[in-house]
Amino acid sequence: MKKSADVVIVGGGVIGTSIAYYLSKQGIKPILLEKDDLASGSSGACDIDIILQSKNPGIHLQLAMESAKMYTTLADELDFDIEYKTCGGMILIENEEQLKIMKDFVKRQKAIGLNVQLLDLKEASEIQPGLSPLLVGSTYSPQDAHVNPMRLCQAFSRAARRLGAEVCLNTSVVDIKVGKNKVKSVITNRGEIATKIVINAAGAYAPMIGKMVGLSLPIKPRRGQIIVTEPVPKLVMADVLCAKYIVAKYNPKLLEGSDNPETRLGVGLSLSQTHDGQILIGATREFVGYNKNTTHEALRAILRNATRLVPALKSIHVIRSFAGLRPYTPDGLPLLGYVEGIQGFIMAAGHEGDGIALSPVTGRIISDLIVDGKTFMDVSCLCPSRFRSLMKNEKVI
Amino acid sequence: MKEEYICRCEEVTRKEIEEAIADGATTLAGIKRRTRAGMGLCQGRTCQRLITQMLANVKDKAEITPPTSRPPVRAIKIGEIVEGEDE
Repeated sequence: MKKSADVVIVGGGVIGTSIAYYLSKQGIKPILLEKDDLASGSSGACDIDIILQSKNPGIHLQLAMESAKMYTTLADELDFDIEYKTCGGMILIENEEQLKIMKDFVKRQKAIGLNVQLLDLKEASEIQPGLSPLLVGSTYSPQDAHVNPMRLCQAFSRAARRLGAEVCLNTSVVDIKVGKNKVKSVITNRGEIATKIVINAAGAYAPMIGKMVGLSLPIKPRRGQIIVTEPVPKLVMADVLCAKYIVAKYNPKLLEGSDNPETRLGVGLSLSQTHDGQILIGATREFVGYNKNTTHEALRAILRNATRLVPALKSIHVIRSFAGLRPYTPDGLPLLGYVEGIQGFIMAAGHEGDGIALSPVTGRIISDLIVDGKTFMDVSCLCPSRFRSLMKNEKVI
Repeated sequence: MKEEYICRCEEVTRKEIEEAIADGATTLAGIKRRTRAGMGLCQGRTCQRLITQMLANVKDKAEITPPTSRPPVRAIKIGEIVEGEDE
């Protein structure tokens, strides 16, 4: 490990490795520190969807659309098979109330330029057979896609290393030294690295890194449990979500205290079939601290929701469940950019369940910020200081 | 030379696992994420021991942590989970 670097990135998930790649591409040689292994956190415990439709119309969707454009050429650029494929996506609608909400959502997404439309049940069933006859219909966008997030991390990391980045696995950050309100160095379990710039890309663990420079970050781990089936012939034709997924994602307060376990666990359907034929069925959204266990209650709730919407799943076998911690923020948007008051400290975390979709664009934004001092699209509304009381001022001199 | 398969469910060869170790994998989970070994139908029942032996050549045996055990213990039909419960 080198003793100094222009930039130190903390976190070896899809965000950290993406930043390492885009910085290296612009001639900066960063050191990436990962406490465990590449994709060992949420990037290795999530689904495979790159969904544009689930993004709130506004900056969120704009970011996802820029990212989607970058994805189309990424595998070639990185010279690695990331199992990227455009497959389309749909959000299932169960009743008139949901239809009303989704009509408005679709209208606002269209206004930003997303290719999305509403389908009745017959049209939806032509794209995705096996749907429940009780559904009202669905939305559909041909732009939604798949990627293998674990391979994506590998691909970014390898490409960054070829361009001169150093990727240090099993290397944890113990402390960050700040002097005169400037970042000075990062202390790891393997020694100290002098640097002027530190990027906090630690996902759900970002608050622990933030604390080292006196920050109180509004990021909270939100557990998402997902179920894996045996490999089966092509059955899921697109990324399939349900309207409840959108509600659970953006309205956590509505879920608290519900008598219905599905609602309380924040269950929203997320269905996709991998390159290898296994079906991923998700997911919950739960605030249970850093607990990564899977639970029987959630297993049942997820499957009950999924089979109500897509009864064709009933004859398939479950082989595993897993859970990842999504980095939740109060407004559903990531913290991107320099932190006021600590020169050289950059945030790139808080993407909740959108880290995979937003990985390329986040890498480009952060590398632009460091190299050019400005970004190709305006992301000032994502600056960390939008959250008041960020600073605890415990350590900053 | 004939390929030697370590994970039969996902058809992962000895060579691929050696490459994953060379790439920096030091755990069963790390090898799984790089190669898919252990992600198949049997969930690593056979290959887990073989891979542990391979890891033991590069890492202290005492430090090799077992993979996370997750439900279900055996493959189970979704219909049985959904219908076999009390409402």
